[in-house]
Amino acid sequence: MNWAQLLTTVVTVGSILGVVTLVLNMQYGHAGMINFGVVAYFAAGAYTYVLLTQSPPSSLDQYVVGLDLPVWVGFLGAALAGLVFAAITGWPTLRLRGEYLALTTFAFAEVFHSFILNEQRFANGTRGLVGLERPFRDQITFVDYNIFFAAAALAFLVIVYLIFERIVRSPYGRALEALRDDELALITVGKQSSRFRLEVFLFTAPFAAMAGAFHIWYTTLALPELFTAEVTFIVWIALILGGEGSNRGALIGIFLVVVFEELVRAIPFTSIRAAQIAAELEVAALGLLLIVFLRWQPFASLARVRRRTG
Amino acid sequence: MGFLGINGVSKSFGGLRAVADCSFDVPPGSLMGFIGPNGAGKSTLFNLVSGLYQPDTGSIRLEGDELVGRPADEIARMGLGRTFQTPRSFATLSCLENMLASVPSPGERLFPALIGTYRPHERQVTVEAQRLLGLVGLGERANDPADELSGGELRMLEVARQLIRHPKILLLDEPTAGVTPTLQNRLGKLLRILHDDGLTVLIVEHNLGFLLNLVEQVVVMVRGKVLTQGDPDAIRKDPDVINAYLGRRDGDAA
Repeated sequence: MNWAQLLTTVVTVGSILGVVTLVLNMQYGHAGMINFGVVAYFAAGAYTYVLLTQSPPSSLDQYVVGLDLPVWVGFLGAALAGLVFAAITGWPTLRLRGEYLALTTFAFAEVFHSFILNEQRFANGTRGLVGLERPFRDQITFVDYNIFFAAAALAFLVIVYLIFERIVRSPYGRALEALRDDELALITVGKQSSRFRLEVFLFTAPFAAMAGAFHIWYTTLALPELFTAEVTFIVWIALILGGEGSNRGALIGIFLVVVFEELVRAIPFTSIRAAQIAAELEVAALGLLLIVFLRWQPFASLARVRRRTG
Repeated sequence: MGFLGINGVSKSFGGLRAVADCSFDVPPGSLMGFIGPNGAGKSTLFNLVSGLYQPDTGSIRLEGDELVGRPADEIARMGLGRTFQTPRSFATLSCLENMLASVPSPGERLFPALIGTYRPHERQVTVEAQRLLGLVGLGERANDPADELSGGELRMLEVARQLIRHPKILLLDEPTAGVTPTLQNRLGKLLRILHDDGLTVLIVEHNLGFLLNLVEQVVVMVRGKVLTQGDPDAIRKDPDVINAYLGRRDGDAA
């Protein structure tokens, strides 16, 4: 087992999914809004990035648009796509609470997934796009590209973490938690709860979408099967493992999950059968881990935000 | 013209007429009791006034401004404060944070929250919040989360959360239920002080010992309608009120 390689992978994948976990934590852990469709922001960002930066279609391709724009345009476009998707899905669901919101967000994500799966003119549909360019591949000569990329992903995660921590510790974060605890009590002190409900979706979604662009850079693939509800559930499991309501907990959770997955993946299997069994066992073990953590809640003490007043 | 004017308000739930053509005024600066048997429609009326329910007919005015049709948060911002029969709080926040979350803060906008320009305002409000928590007997518990408070303490916290907003009128729904006699006295004193400062208070209360010693006027509601209105002594002796609500002592002739 190559430990340096494993570490690089864990940092990269953990940072990318960590951003999505932080987004979910802000929406659910702090504001109490159940989003079962976080993968949609991630996918919207990823595909928008691809749409903006890929080369124009060649004769073998079925997709129609490829604008060949610079990386940073694609990155900003991804963020904007997240914002637009959050507005489209957030606006009509403002009045929905609890499980109704969960079902609707899930449905929106499934619709989007169905779109990228079946619309071949968008990004070749099921066939997807492979071998996409990794940014600054040629410029990075002083260090191994994978290490550079892991560092970039980690830097992105740290920035998002710092922004979110600042918001959580401000009166804004306090208002979100008040909304989660008792919306009626918040309304009767004269606060417009619907503004917070919409804003939480709007300001967090672009970060998940940018993480989607990072995911394209990392995998060089735009395949619908990488943007299924599984991403949503992995992030949910991570958040529950680490303890919702704490950004640090969210990160502990996602890194636990990613380390676990990458360790299983790093085992050198001698037969396909063994690898298949391991893949099944991995899911089962993750489920078991979730039950154990739910029972003992080892990170529960992280959850309460200590806010300085004054 | 009353500070709070309730005029011909009705509200039905299916076949049940919870509030039926109810009218009364709460004059500015008054300290008024609001009593009636269970199911008389008192809490429903509170929910109508605070905008949580919309009346089927009628008008509710605060200082002349129509409240019917406005969302509850806007009514609250217009100067109406209320508590609930089952106290509501922000369970995971500390008592102090409960107070701070109940006043408007510049830090509740994203940009000021990021750059931190809300801090002077927070410091200022914190002083006021600590003072009010002290007044309702929660001074020592400022940093304890609300879900660790007792039922009576939660009621006091809810009152304090409304007071820090400086409402023009305060509707209290059974503020002494589950509250110790010591705290009841403290609450009574506090309400008298606020009353002297000009706050209008309307109190639903079944604890008549507390209520009738505190208020100047009492409105009696029965089956969704105002039965009568008067000062505490008149209410105590009113045969209709005795029949409908107070009841007779054992041995009294029917």
